[in-house]
This record gives sequence, structure tokens and C-alpha cells, in this order.
Amino acid sequence: MITKYHRPLALDDAIALAARSDAVIIAGGTTVNADPGRTPVVAVDLQALELSGIETDGESVRIGSMTRLADIVESALAPSVLRDLARRDAPNTIRNAATIGGTIGTADAESQLLTGLLAFGAIVTLAGADSTTTRPLKEILDDTQILRGTIITSVAIPSNGLAAADRTARTPMDQPIVMAVAHRDGDGAVVLAMAGVAPRPVIVEPDRIGDLDPPSDFRGSSRYRTQIASVLASRVLARVAVGK
Amino acid sequence: MSMTITLTINGSDRILACDPHESLRTVLRRAGYHSVRFGSDTGETGAAAVLVDGRLISSDVMLAVQADGHEIETVEGLAVPGQMHPIQQAFIDTGAIQSGYSTPAMILAAKALLAANPDPTQDDVRDALSGILDRETGYLRPVHAVLRIAAIMRGEEPDRIEVAFLDALVGADGPHHDRDALTAIAPRVVPSDDVPHTRVVGQPETKTDAIKLAKGNPAFTDDVDLAGTLIAKVLYSPHAHARIVSIDDDAARALPGVHAVLHYGNVERVRYASGGQSYPNPLPYDQVSFDNKVRFVGDRVAAVAADTEEIAQTAIGLIDVTYEVLPAVFDENDAIVDGAPVIHDEPDMEGAHDPSHNLVHHLKADTGDVEAGFAVADRVFEQTFRVHQVQQAPIEPHVAIAAWDSDERLVITSSTQVPFHVRRMVAPLLGIPVKQIRIIKPRIGGGFGVKQEMLIEDIVGHLTIVTGRPVRLELTREEEFVSSRTRHPQTITYKTGVDADGILTGQEMRIVANTGAYGTHGLTVQLVSGLRGLSSYNCPVKRFDCKVAYTNIPVPGAYRGYGAPQALFALEVHMEDIAASIGMDAIEFRRLNWTNVGDPLDIAPQLGEGDQDASVVPVVTSSGLEEAVLQGMRAVEWDRRDDASWKQPADRPNIRRGIGFAMAMHGTAIPGLDMGGASLKINDDGSFNLLVGATDLGTGSDTILAQIAAEVVGVSTNDVIVYSSDTDMTPFDVGAYASSTTYISGMAVKRAAEQVRDQICERAAIDLDVDAAVIEMYDNAAWAPDGRSVTLEAIALSTLHQERQHQIMANASYVSPESPPPYAAQFVEIEVDIDTGQVTVIRLVMAVDCGVPINPATASGQVEGGMVQALGYGHCEEMVYDEDGRMVNAAFGPYKIYRADEMPELEAILVQTMEASGPFGAKAIAEIPKDGVAPALRNAIADATGVRINDIPFTPERVWLALQDA
Repeated sequence: MITKYHRPLALDDAIALAARSDAVIIAGGTTVNADPGRTPVVAVDLQALELSGIETDGESVRIGSMTRLADIVESALAPSVLRDLARRDAPNTIRNAATIGGTIGTADAESQLLTGLLAFGAIVTLAGADSTTTRPLKEILDDTQILRGTIITSVAIPSNGLAAADRTARTPMDQPIVMAVAHRDGDGAVVLAMAGVAPRPVIVEPDRIGDLDPPSDFRGSSRYRTQIASVLASRVLARVAVGK
Repeated sequence: MSMTITLTINGSDRILACDPHESLRTVLRRAGYHSVRFGSDTGETGAAAVLVDGRLISSDVMLAVQADGHEIETVEGLAVPGQMHPIQQAFIDTGAIQSGYSTPAMILAAKALLAANPDPTQDDVRDALSGILDRETGYLRPVHAVLRIAAIMRGEEPDRIEVAFLDALVGADGPHHDRDALTAIAPRVVPSDDVPHTRVVGQPETKTDAIKLAKGNPAFTDDVDLAGTLIAKVLYSPHAHARIVSIDDDAARALPGVHAVLHYGNVERVRYASGGQSYPNPLPYDQVSFDNKVRFVGDRVAAVAADTEEIAQTAIGLIDVTYEVLPAVFDENDAIVDGAPVIHDEPDMEGAHDPSHNLVHHLKADTGDVEAGFAVADRVFEQTFRVHQVQQAPIEPHVAIAAWDSDERLVITSSTQVPFHVRRMVAPLLGIPVKQIRIIKPRIGGGFGVKQEMLIEDIVGHLTIVTGRPVRLELTREEEFVSSRTRHPQTITYKTGVDADGILTGQEMRIVANTGAYGTHGLTVQLVSGLRGLSSYNCPVKRFDCKVAYTNIPVPGAYRGYGAPQALFALEVHMEDIAASIGMDAIEFRRLNWTNVGDPLDIAPQLGEGDQDASVVPVVTSSGLEEAVLQGMRAVEWDRRDDASWKQPADRPNIRRGIGFAMAMHGTAIPGLDMGGASLKINDDGSFNLLVGATDLGTGSDTILAQIAAEVVGVSTNDVIVYSSDTDMTPFDVGAYASSTTYISGMAVKRAAEQVRDQICERAAIDLDVDAAVIEMYDNAAWAPDGRSVTLEAIALSTLHQERQHQIMANASYVSPESPPPYAAQFVEIEVDIDTGQVTVIRLVMAVDCGVPINPATASGQVEGGMVQALGYGHCEEMVYDEDGRMVNAAFGPYKIYRADEMPELEAILVQTMEASGPFGAKAIAEIPKDGVAPALRNAIADATGVRINDIPFTPERVWLALQDA
């Protein structure tokens, strides 16, 4: 439960607050506030920091961490596949508050946008007390402790390439049981990322799908998820292979 | 409160106190913005969505302090009293409002969308509404309300919303072009020549309660603000089955701010059944307010009243309960075998058939020797189905507030469908007489049967009696899922004999039903399963056998359809598969056997609840089924089933397409039991007050009751001011259930209005110097045959103030000996991804004979919204438990209900018939939309893939597994 609230005006102040053991970072707040817990925590709201915006230099697209999912959906600069995944991640009442930084920071296990960013090879910029570093999103998802004491400031993805996404869900806008995103960069290198096949979105080698051991739940057994993963992987890989 | 924040709300700066953890919703509601409504704490219902700097955001998941310094807009800011914002007007005009609970959020969504995009596509609108869950309308009318106002604001002609009359197809020659110019929301009516002309009845009038709903005015239970109100919280059982060895409440009582802690140790043990039903409540009486045993995860253990929600929640955590955990059983078939855990072993429970085997009821009925029917059959088919547990999930959860009034009578304001039943049922539990209790039902934010229950009123009543303070209890979303009521799961077996011509020779229906931890509606829901499951088709001999089992799952109760959706899923799949087996067309096989006008409803006398003469077999008195089937086939383009290139599109090799059909037949109220009362009185200006005990859940029943009264006394609908319902103020009514309000309460209103009309005519006859019998009433006046008239205002002023003074008014009530069945034809179009099992629903079409629709707009809304709920039943909704009986998906999202941005196309067609026993020819409409979607969906999957599945819902893995086995 939030017992204190800070709205730092400078990034350094935010980093200092984030270093506290009882700090909870609030970007849009839609995840933290939905499950506040009973332990006293100190909220560090990043809204006053100027971390929102989408820009491109032609090579890559840089998305500020406080950019709302709705802004990604509406941005002509963001790749269309990612725009659609941002739309699918949350309905507009949530999308208008939730941010890309928050999506990464909470490491949402079923986020379609995170899965897309993984496939795109997203690089995350972290501002810490001593330095600013960049880390591949994959490393952060492998070990979210990397984020401790830092503030996510932006995410960069390549602006060229070809991407495709597909999913299986109970209804068209339901959280997918399994989803797959493939991205082929300008050099022809293909990355396949999937959600619903592991406890978090993962990069998958196309020929190693059979090695996956997805956790079962009521929406899909492990066996089913593995089978569907193959189907969806084939589809998205075929789509990015077009024109190769 | 530790902080102050400054919000610019609707253009004015407000400085508000709050705590850092409080949500923006909490703070806005406390500041008096009642349009911001509670649906859950996690933001996904959207009922609390507001505009923050112009963006629509769920205020459940935004801290109030996050909003500090920002601009907030709520619906309260759109228009002053007496005026209406054009968006609000569009929602009213299109029939987009049912309960209205989430309407303010939808209106704000529209405002934000149109500010950014004056020319939105339908997809844009659906996306704008994607975060606001609606359990009532099916989203069709809200989406078109936004498109309509967008068109008007662009200066364009909006789509027509007037009734579109379709040509009858039975006996007619084509081609017909009456569908060419149809708009999405024009109510479709196939008129019948048998229906007399009416002025108000049959018109798509806007809702009488539209102003308060469109404007977000305080109108719901939670909007009642009483100073000094304590907040109640309930401690729920963490175990599926356990004995409570002891409860230590010392620490909870010692917590400052706690005013009462109630449990079995300090509340009198009075047995009852919680189902909101007529006196005497059906057996068994197997509940007490607080027991020393718990029977499901979510069962009541204790209740607390405290100064704040936080203190109450903390106190709940301080109650130390010692449990002796017992083995539990969840499946209805496992529960009734020897050696199963005995769920009700208390000596004082009353009225269960064989509690030592968890057998609550064993119901039997037959119309002869069914074995003889099978013996003469050419072929006999047997098929077993499993239907699962789902929840009604109204966006407004259960909420009740109790308080002493100045006469020291207990007033309980409650979101209930059954205020009169609640008053009678709660009195003995509280130990105070009925006359000392007043139940007020304000607007209800959806019910669907879950509020046909005396569920929490005893808790707030006990707590107010103990504390002397007002007490409010509102369930959280998780509590609503696990501790309220649900739909009964059943295992259903049909066995049917068919002769060589496809005629049924004998039909048997066997059910093992799961009533969870308590009996409540366990008897009557299953009676309806048998009644509905063995009434659609003619058959010389029928047999019904049903065992109703106790288990340790959360309690099933009343849910719109009440046993029929379960039965008709099984029946309509069974009939489909028999047709396929004998090589007959699926519709033609049903047509050979379905009931027509004059056919007997022969099992009904044995499966009724009411006071019926068992020797009198009712017959079908009206049916538009054939017309409904033809209209539905045309609308859904049924012929595509024969087009191989459509069914298997060449460019999408993994897709198969299909269309499925199911027929549905329902009842209209419980004959010989359901009773409604109405009172109508004239005012000085010739307007009328209509007082009814009937409870409008958002269905529009207040509106159609006003239309019925207005028709009789010759005024406009808006000259009739409806008040419902309040046990101190309104006549008795059983409440909103069993598809009874239009037919039963409507007839009570009609009779009261006829008496009022007679009183008016009597006076007018003197003024006009004619015989009262020749007077006609219309245009707010009484008319002589020669064209002279006297206005109702003149009559009212005269009778109230001047000559032969008396209050023109009348009371009437109605009970029906009959329950004329509405009929419907349901069609579902789908696509199946055969590699993944994913089913995508493209279109739902339902053509329904509800007699004469009193209001075609609200009737269409009932069908649209009902179909979408029914689609959830068949497609994606399910309550899922872990091995200890704990629900694992007690939140929207994991418990999946359809959103605006994924809805299939919807079409409702109203086929008129003249039902002589109903008010102006009306039959029921509210429940029948729940009956046909799941079987039609299943039959569509069979049409698309050849795979025949007998369990619902049709989730991807279930369909995929069936495809693997095929």
C-alpha cells in the first residue's frame, strides 16, 4: 500500500528515490495500482520527467519510457506491427495511461508489446546513480534485478526490417494463449519471439520449439501451447520470409 | 487524510483531501461525482473511466495524487439540469442505455473520440469503447449512438432509428427488397395482421429513466450517502469444506474503529433458503446467516463493520479462525456416490431428499411409458453433455446499505431484483417484524438473476442492529465471482427414439445437476431445465429424471434463462446430430417435430412451481417460429452452407466457415404463482403516477409499463411518471425474474389503467353529456363521438378540487394461469482455424416471436445483449478452480466477457404474433436470447469442420483436441 508519494522534477532525484528499498516506480500506474499489496511502499511518480516522445533518425526509432501505449498506437513513426501490439495490450481506458516503460518495468508475462520489442531486438536505456547504460530487453527480462535503482528512460528499435505477428486466443482481443512475433532486419537476420510458452516472453530458435516446456493453465495445456507455438511460428516466419 | 490535491474538475478547481494510496475514483466519488462508478478495483470494467487532460482513463487504477494538477472531466460537467449534451441525447435516442451504470463512461469515451476525430469509422468507435465492459447491450447501440452523433455534428443525415417493417415470408413469394435499406439499429419488426392498432404500444419510445442514467445522476444504491456510514467487510472461507472449531475475534474487536464483529458465536441460528422466491420458499432450508461450517471457498465466516474500508479489511485479517479441514467434492457425479464427503451433516437442516448422499432433490416426471416409445422407434439415440459454471457478472456488484430511520424502522437500500421477497425473508433472520423493515430498490446496474437472492441484506441488517449506525457492504469483483451466485453446471443425457419418417417416438432427459454448497434455486432451476428440455418438440412419451447434488463449489442460483440454456444446449445439439445421423436436413427434422399452435405442453403440469391444476394440459396459443426461422435464414444467408468455396476459402487454407442453427422456446412467467401489482393515479395536470413493485434491472421494463398505462388512458409515455420499487410505497410484485415483468406486471398495469380510464370516462360522460361507453381517450383528453372533448387536466382539476371530489386512481394485480411460450430461431456464423482450434464468431442473428413487442427498441436491445451474454456461455466464459476449489480466474480478463472491439455483428428480428392472454398481445423477451446461441455455435463448428463437441465452452484447446481426434 502506498504510504508516501513523490513526483520528482529531475531525473537525478528520481534515481535517488528509486534506490530506496521500499520504492515503487509509477509510470502510468495501471499495474501497480491494480495490485497495490499490503506492504507500505513509497511511490515515485515519473510523470514530471520529460521522458515521453517518439523520434527517429532513420536508423532506429527511440521511444521515451513515459510514452503511453496510446501514443505508440497513434504514432506514424512506430512500426505498424508494434503499434498493433500496443493496441492489443490494453483497452483504451488503460492504454491512455499505461506506458512502454511501465510495460518493461513490470515485465508483464503476457504482454504482446514486450514480445514484439523482443523480436525487434529492443535496446533499453537505463539511467542509474552513476551512469547511463543500455541493455538489450532480453537481458532485462532474463534478470529484472538489472532495473533496481535505475530509471528506464527510453527504448530503441531498428526502423527498418519486416515484422509479422500472430496469436491464438479465446476471442479476438483476449490475452493470447500463445503469440508469436517474427522480425527480419535489413541484413536478413530473423528473430522469433513468443509469449505463452514460458513464464515470460522469450526469444525462440525456430528449430527448437519442440524443446519448450510451457506452463499449463486453464486456457491451454503445456502440450497444446507447444503445438500451437509451432503453427504460429511457421506462419510469422513465412510472412517475414516473403520477398527474401 | 494526509494530503491535499488540486484537481480542475469540469472547469473548476477543487482542493481535495486524500491519502496517497487512494484511487482517483474513490476521491471523485467522495467529492460527489456519482457518475464515476465502481466495477472493480483493477480498472478493466471502465465504469469509473473519466477524462484526464482529455484522455479516457480508468480512475480505478490512477492514484488521486497522480491526477494532482490535472484537468478532470466527468459526465456531471456536460450539461446542467434541464439540458442534455448531444452525445447524451444520441445515447437515449438509439436505445444505447440499459441499466446505465457504465453509460457515463461511454459518453465520455465518445466525447474524447469525437474531439480527436470527428469522422470515426465503426472500428474507431469500437476501439474507443474497448475499455468499458457492458453486460447488457451487446455494444451495438452504444457504437451506433456514437456514429450517430458524429454524423449529426458533421451536419450529415444520421442513420434511421425508426422501426423497419419487414415483409412476412411465410406463404409469400420473393424476391423481397425490404432488407436493402436496413440500418444497423432500426428495430426490425415483422408485423402481424392480427394485431390491433395502438398509439403508444409498439413504438420505440425512449426510456423513462433516461435522464438520470445519461447524466450520471445519483440513482444507484452506492450513490446513497448517509452520514456516519460504517463499511462492512466479510471474511470468506479459504477452504472448500471445513468445520469451524473456534473463532477468536478479540484482536479484531480491539482494533480502533471497529464497531462490530459477527460470526456463528454471536448471531442467532435461523435457517433459511436464500433464493428470492415466493412464500413459502422452496426447500431445503440449509443456510444460516453465519454457520460453524464452511462449504466452499468464498463461504461466509464472519462480518465486520468499521469506520473505514481499510480498518474493516485489517480487522478481517485479525479474526483468528481455527478450521478442521474436511475432504471436499466438486463434481456433481462424484458427490452423490457412497463415501463422498457429506456436505450438509447439520441436524437442523430441513428439506433435502437424501443429505447423507448430497442428494438435494430427485425430480421425476413422465407422460407415459418412455420405454414403449423407444421400442417402437426405428432408431434410438443417446448422447451425454456437460455444461459448465458461469457467472452473471453484472458490472454493478451486489451492494446494500442498512440504516435506522427516524421511526426506528430498518431501511435497507439494495441492488435487488426482489425487494418484497427480501423484506419477508430477511425479517426472521434479523428477528424484527416485516412491518419494521423497508426495502428500497433504486436503479440497478444489471442483475441477470444474481440479484434474485437475499444475499447480503441480512449482513448489513445485523450490523446496523448491533451498531445502531448505517452500514454499507459492496462486494469486490472477486467476491462477486466467488461468493454470490452462478449458473448451475449439469451433466445431461438425452435419449430419443425416432421413427423411419423422422418423427419422435419417445424422449428421455436425465440430469445430474450441481447446486454447489446450498440448495437456494436448486429445485426450481432444474424444474425449468426439464420443462424447457421436454417442451420444444412433440413426442408421445417423455420422461424426466433429475438428481440435484450438493458439492463444494460456489453456489449456483438464478441466471437469466434459469435452467433453459443448459437444457436447450443439450437438446438442440442432440436434435442436430440426430438429423445428421438419419440424413435429414437439420431444420426440416426439427420442423417435423416442433410444437405448433394447439399442440399440448404435456409435461408442464408436472414441472410447474405454481398453483396449477395438474389435469389441465396447457397448449401453445401463439407461435411465430416458422416465420422466425425463415427470417433468420434469410438474414444470415443460410444458403452459403452449401457453397464449398465459401466454407473453405482458397486464400486461407487453415480456415473453415460454418453457420449453425438452434431453435428456442421459452416460458412467460411462472403460471399460477408470479404476481404483480400496480397503482395508477392522476395528477392536477392530467399526468399520472404509476407505482409498481416490478424491478427494472435496466431492461426498460419501467418504460414499457408506462407505455401500457399511457396507451390505455390516452396520454404520451412521458405523461406517466414511474416509481419502482419500494416496499413502503409500491404494490407488491414478485420482482424481476422468470420473464414475467411485461406479461404479469404489464397486465396489472393494464388493469389498473383500465379502471382509471373508467373513472375518467365516468366523469367525462357527465361533462360531455354522453354515455361513458362511447368515450374514447387519446391526446390527453376524453372524446365524445361528435368530436367534443374534455382534457384530462380539466377532469383532474375538477375531480381533485371542485366537484364530486375524489382521487382518480386504481390498484390492480395479476396472476396468470398460463405461460405462453415465446419462440426463436438462432443463427451463428463462425470461422474455425483448424490448425489452432480458435473459433472466431462473425455474426449472431436471432429472430424471435415475443408476441407484440411493447417497445421494439428495448426488445431489440434485450435480444442483442442477451445473445452476447449467451455467446460468452458457449464461447469463452468459465469459472475455473484449482484442486482445492479456489477459483483461479475471478477477474474480468481471465474470466473473459466480450469487449466492444471484438463483437460479432448482431441482428435481432421481432416476429409479431398476437398472444391473446398478454397485455396488448405481448409475451416474454428477456430470457429466450440466452437459449440458442451455445447450441447454434456448436452446430456451426460441426458445419464448418465436421467435429461434434458436447461440452462447452468452445475454447481453442477444446476444439483443437476434437479436431485432432477427428
